[in-house]
Amino acid sequence: MKLFLKFDFNTVSKKILESKFNGLNLEYKIIGFGEVELLKKIKPEEYLALNDSLNDYGIEIVESQKGILVQKIKDTIIDMVFNEDIIVNVKSSVYLSEKLGHSYGYLSNLFSEITYSSIENFMIIQKIEYSKQLLLNSELNLTEIAFKLNYSSVAHLSTQFKNTTGITPSAFQRIILKRRDIAQQKAN
Amino acid sequence: MQTDYIHIILADDDEDDILFFTDAFDELKINTKVNTFKDGEELMDYLNDDQSRMPNVLFLDLNMPKKTGIECLKEIKASHKMSEIAIAIYSTSASEEDIEKTFVLGANIYIKKPGDFKKLKKLLSEVVSINWQYHTNGLNKDNFLLSL
Amino acid sequence: MKRNNLFKSTSFLRVVLLLSLFVILLIGGFTYRHISNLTNSEEIVVKTYNVNLELEHIVSYLRDAESAHRNYIVTKDRFYVNTYLNAKEKVNRAFLKLEDLVGLNSNQQKNLTVLNKLTDSLYNNFSKTNAFVTDNTTNTETFKTLFFEEKIIMDSIRRQSNAMFDLENKLLNEKQNEYQSDLRFTPLFFYLVLLATLVLIIMAYNKISNDLKKIKAKNDQLLIFEESTNQSEIIGKHGNWVWHIDSNKFIYSDNLYRLLGEEPQSFEANFDNFLKFVHPEDVDKLAEDLDNMIDAEELPFVNYRIVQKNGSIKHLKAYAKSFYSADGQKRLLGNTSDITDEIESFLELEERNLELERNNKELSAFNYAASHDLQEPLRKIQTFISRLEEKESDKFSDPGHQYLDRIKSASARMRLLIDDLLQFSRTNKPDKEFVSADLNELFENAKQDIVEIILEKKAQITSDTLPRAKVIVFQMQQLFLNLLSNSLKYCKKETVPIIEINYSKVKANDDPLLSKAPKSFYHKITFSDNGIGFDQKYAGKIFDLFNRLHNKQEYSGTGIGLSICKKIIDNHQGFIFAKGEINIGSVFTVYLPE
Repeated sequence: MKLFLKFDFNTVSKKILESKFNGLNLEYKIIGFGEVELLKKIKPEEYLALNDSLNDYGIEIVESQKGILVQKIKDTIIDMVFNEDIIVNVKSSVYLSEKLGHSYGYLSNLFSEITYSSIENFMIIQKIEYSKQLLLNSELNLTEIAFKLNYSSVAHLSTQFKNTTGITPSAFQRIILKRRDIAQQKAN
Repeated sequence: MQTDYIHIILADDDEDDILFFTDAFDELKINTKVNTFKDGEELMDYLNDDQSRMPNVLFLDLNMPKKTGIECLKEIKASHKMSEIAIAIYSTSASEEDIEKTFVLGANIYIKKPGDFKKLKKLLSEVVSINWQYHTNGLNKDNFLLSL
Repeated sequence: MKRNNLFKSTSFLRVVLLLSLFVILLIGGFTYRHISNLTNSEEIVVKTYNVNLELEHIVSYLRDAESAHRNYIVTKDRFYVNTYLNAKEKVNRAFLKLEDLVGLNSNQQKNLTVLNKLTDSLYNNFSKTNAFVTDNTTNTETFKTLFFEEKIIMDSIRRQSNAMFDLENKLLNEKQNEYQSDLRFTPLFFYLVLLATLVLIIMAYNKISNDLKKIKAKNDQLLIFEESTNQSEIIGKHGNWVWHIDSNKFIYSDNLYRLLGEEPQSFEANFDNFLKFVHPEDVDKLAEDLDNMIDAEELPFVNYRIVQKNGSIKHLKAYAKSFYSADGQKRLLGNTSDITDEIESFLELEERNLELERNNKELSAFNYAASHDLQEPLRKIQTFISRLEEKESDKFSDPGHQYLDRIKSASARMRLLIDDLLQFSRTNKPDKEFVSADLNELFENAKQDIVEIILEKKAQITSDTLPRAKVIVFQMQQLFLNLLSNSLKYCKKETVPIIEINYSKVKANDDPLLSKAPKSFYHKITFSDNGIGFDQKYAGKIFDLFNRLHNKQEYSGTGIGLSICKKIIDNHQGFIFAKGEINIGSVFTVYLPE
């Protein structure tokens, strides 16, 4: 038997952070995805220990202010894409600059400098990523997914999917299902 | 664990292609380290060595002596240790069927070698960047498929 | 049917025979009775005659006795007493004879008893009168009365004897009359019976001769049939055999011997002799089959080889089935054919097919390898050109730049050709998987592949809702892509390309283009455009490989795209037709089996 899991990375990360910070007896407050405020000053050896234990989980302490801002941009975008409660009426660029208190030009340049890619690109990747999840793990068809993700048409989603991944949504679905079949056969 | 460069491996028996590949990364302003292997066996020997550092992205030519790209792909996918490596198929031909076949076998990326150096640079930077995003943004790696 | 008739006629003949036998027995019976009747009447006549004779004897003896007695009375000579006593003895003997002759006739018996008593009373009287004679008292009245009584008794005897005589004669007459009436009808009866018998026998003869004629005709037919069977066996290279199961006897047809390479009937037909010819490798198998045949009384199709005495090997096929004759005898009817020619030609055909297949495979492998392997050096050339252009172009003179451009466009064209050739050879590969797919999706995917060109040319593409169909997914997508690309490529300059895709389901009978179609229903999909079109006279050639209707400076085709379409449609057992009108547009019609 094989189980297919859908992760809520926010919760998983939060749990891990809580256990690590508690383990080192640090006083802290989790502010958002990827942001923790320390309530007391941290000793250098404690910092190293924390860094090491987080590294085991692929979690990295982002040191620079720029890095922190980029992380905030990413968090906002992920929130926008994955969280249906946030209904974005304005353009995402406006939303981002309002939310983070910087001009969009500044955010955009900063993002490209740190990540070698653009905010738009990141946003598209997130959306496509979400549509992949929905394609595989929900009963929704492509038209419904396009609607859910605020695309103007199914063709638009289709095109963006193809442009981003190089393959069509149906081919993607087919490939993953075949992979699962093979894994299933191996497991048996 | 985390280092400041992206580790890339290319397994290809063609000198010219290796040249294009390394040149392209040299010219790209990405902090990368590129290792190359001349055939599938050499590659697998490296990967199977406990001392070796696993690459972030592995570029596999399909047509290689001793061990073909497909054979390497199957071995890598069967190994727990190498399961984290993003695998890019790097091939001259690209029929949709071939692409699907390698994807089903577990490849993440399929690149048709372009006939233009600028295009090559663009492709490679795209691969590295998207792979980086998958790596850093908690995206589901099982769903990572990219055909260029 | 015919056998039934014969059956009927044999039972008919049986009935006739029984009837005739019965008639003959009847005649015998009647004859016997008649003759015995004749004998009886003769006997009765003789008996009557004897009775009369004896009666006459008795009367005459008694008369003699009476006269002797008278003589005694007159003469008193004792000699006369002896005489009439002697007569008494004779009378008694005659009575015994009469008793015998009269037999059981009660009337005559009574008469005879009366006669006897009269005789006795006569002799009594003699004795009484004798006493008077001895006493010499003959003159007495008593004597006279007695003497007179004698005469009366004598008369009674005569009367009695006459009565008996008459009765006997009357009996004789009655009997004779009786026989006479019997005998009168006998000849007529005989005659009629004989006539009837004759009719029956004639009918039987008729029937027999008819049946014989039929049997002869049948025999002729059988002979013809046998001869034609023989000939057909020789021509068809087969022979037949019959196994009489009850008597375990085999009969082989002449040609069966010939199949074995032997003279007809040159050895005894049986299992063992036949097995001697069977190929050593097949002998066990065949023996087993034959053993099973004995149990199952049937032989399913078996194939085996035999070796003729001259060493040549033949392939035989045999089959047998049990068969009951009309008389209930069980037989196994077998047929054995020489299938050497078939097997050899089959093997040859198979060999040729394999060769063809090999050639085809080699060819397509060659095609694939050629186009595939050519890609690599070409790609490198192109990449090096791009490197050259990027890094060294400032060192080139003007002609140098020109040459570089020419090299670039030539290699680009070569790439186009190689890609198309590769695509073509891919559609040539066998063992593709047919799956049910939504053609709308495949069409959208095809559009996605050329979305840049569509946007660039601002093409308007409208499509009906397409059906689901069992297709080779990649190929069908390729077909849509090629047809769309074709329309976009050969569009009129300065005109927005309009491409219309229409769908309908059609019945093969209703569509003149589908007159030779093997299936009954087809999906009909038409691609119409407003492009430059073509002259209808090229409609047939348009799908030929490397066939181009336009020069390559104007339109960048390779002449492969539509050949790929044709190939794909062939792979799907469909049809594709092209219709063109110069400067108006072209219509490609695709038929896919439902």
